[in-house]
Amino acid sequence: MKRGASALAALAVVLLILAPLRLNGYAMDLTYITVLSIGLAYGWNIISGYAGYFSFGQIAFFGVGAYATALLVADAQWFWLPAAVAGGAAACALAVPLGYVMLRLRGPFFAMGMFGMAQMVRVLVTSIPATGSGAGLFLPPGSGITGVYYWTLAVSLGALALTMWIERSAFGLRLRALREDEQVAATLGVETTRAKITAFGLSALIPGLLGGGYAMFLTYIEPDAVFSSRLDLQSIVMAILGGLGTVWGPLVGGLVMTQVSEVLWARFPEIYLMIFGGLLVGLLIVLPRGIVPAIAARFAHRRGQ
Amino acid sequence: MVVLQLAINGVLLGGVLALSALGFNIVFGVMRVVNLAHGDFVVLAAVFAAYAFAQSGVNPLLLLPFTVAVGFVAGALIHHLLLRRLPGEVAGAEASSLTLTFGLSYFLTGAGLAIFGGRFVSVPFLTGAFQIGPLSIPQARLLAFGVAVVLSLAFAFLLRSTALGRAIRATSQNVDGALACGLDVDRVRTIAFALGTAVATAAGTLMSFLYNLNAQQGVLFTVNAFAVVVIGGLGNYTGAVLGALILGLTESFASYFVGSTLAEAAPYLLFILVLLIAPGGLRGRRTT
Repeated sequence: MKRGASALAALAVVLLILAPLRLNGYAMDLTYITVLSIGLAYGWNIISGYAGYFSFGQIAFFGVGAYATALLVADAQWFWLPAAVAGGAAACALAVPLGYVMLRLRGPFFAMGMFGMAQMVRVLVTSIPATGSGAGLFLPPGSGITGVYYWTLAVSLGALALTMWIERSAFGLRLRALREDEQVAATLGVETTRAKITAFGLSALIPGLLGGGYAMFLTYIEPDAVFSSRLDLQSIVMAILGGLGTVWGPLVGGLVMTQVSEVLWARFPEIYLMIFGGLLVGLLIVLPRGIVPAIAARFAHRRGQ
Repeated sequence: MVVLQLAINGVLLGGVLALSALGFNIVFGVMRVVNLAHGDFVVLAAVFAAYAFAQSGVNPLLLLPFTVAVGFVAGALIHHLLLRRLPGEVAGAEASSLTLTFGLSYFLTGAGLAIFGGRFVSVPFLTGAFQIGPLSIPQARLLAFGVAVVLSLAFAFLLRSTALGRAIRATSQNVDGALACGLDVDRVRTIAFALGTAVATAAGTLMSFLYNLNAQQGVLFTVNAFAVVVIGGLGNYTGAVLGALILGLTESFASYFVGSTLAEAAPYLLFILVLLIAPGGLRGRRTT
């Protein structure tokens, strides 16, 4: 099963790399959004899947990355690529001090605290003159979607590689230890604060890097577009649907979700949200651990383990 | 004078917020579930009341028993058919109940939009105001406040002085103890969740006097209830009333002094501050 899965994954990556040669217009936009959401899901999966700190506010880092990039490109005339990297750095620079404060909270307190934090960042951006006071910022039409797409693909693949490393490394073990029981982990010598903040920083870096690309994709950004609760929620659902704290979960969940959501949107636009919510609830009851662990369990069972 | 007027507005708003938060609080207290669909029950009841008023002029207060009954049955069904089936004592149990109520929130928002459309509606009911010197007290707000206080007291009586209330409090204090005493914990949880949604729909019916709403505004009320409950201490009912007054006053003053955009951030700022300074809430136990 391992070999089959790797072959499938390799095929998916090749197809994604070749996508801009074949696709254009709407299909290309959809592919871009798919890769973007998968990348966001991988970012979220580190702090929430591996470390067990459920965050409803990672979109704040996406928005900060997007705004930092937009300001550098529009006001300082940077080329967008280094600006997007700077966006990731900005998100990380915000996340580390924020993590020191917020990661003292646990469970639903952390989840809602982060939600509140993201809302506050959005309100702040809406009311500061430098960011256009909520009226938005215009960007010069950039390199078109191809450049942005490859940047997003590269960051998302990087996030996948990072997750594969976490899965095998001592760092990943530390994160899982503190997810299962933070106090026990601490007594066993895990520097929990450091591990948590590192995970939080990585979980902010990825959306930060992706945000700049999104700003270039939109060419006009405003707070509601980049602090989008829809993108945030979609990436969370993807990671959970695929399998929380697994390497392939965000990818599998992302591919399934974007396709399902696209079909639903095309066929039943009026009751799309309703079906989407109903599906999520139903899946949780049927597959509480997500698709990937369920398949893995099925295969292990077949081999008589 | 302005200060006094703002204080009156804040207290009147706080009464309704307190009622809504009671529903959120009982669900967390008994089940340790943060119900992300709470605000959607509030908003759906409000939108429904506004439509009933627009269509056939039904007094929203007469609708109250009906919306409460629907909320109760819906909550009981949701717990019995869905929440109960989630894996219990495994890692990530908290995450799965959050995700489930989150999916439910989408479902209810979608259903509300499909049934009622996206237009913002409210009940133009008792639009006058009592004038006391320079102060004016909007009649609709006063009525909503009064009904909310009555319902909250009824709720407190239920919790304090009935067998069901004792069972609910016992389950929230210690599940194993409640089981050992022969309580049907599963049934208590179903009733607690149903009470939570019933209170939410009651609060929503009253909110229809105060706000212009559409089905998408649920998040706002989930956050408000969460903020109130965090400020007062999760599972603490008198604390929640205090929290609701603080939040109502903060919103009222903030929207006057710093403008409505920045005032949006007030509940978030308030609850993050409280979480960091007094993680158990202002009146909570210091165990978290």
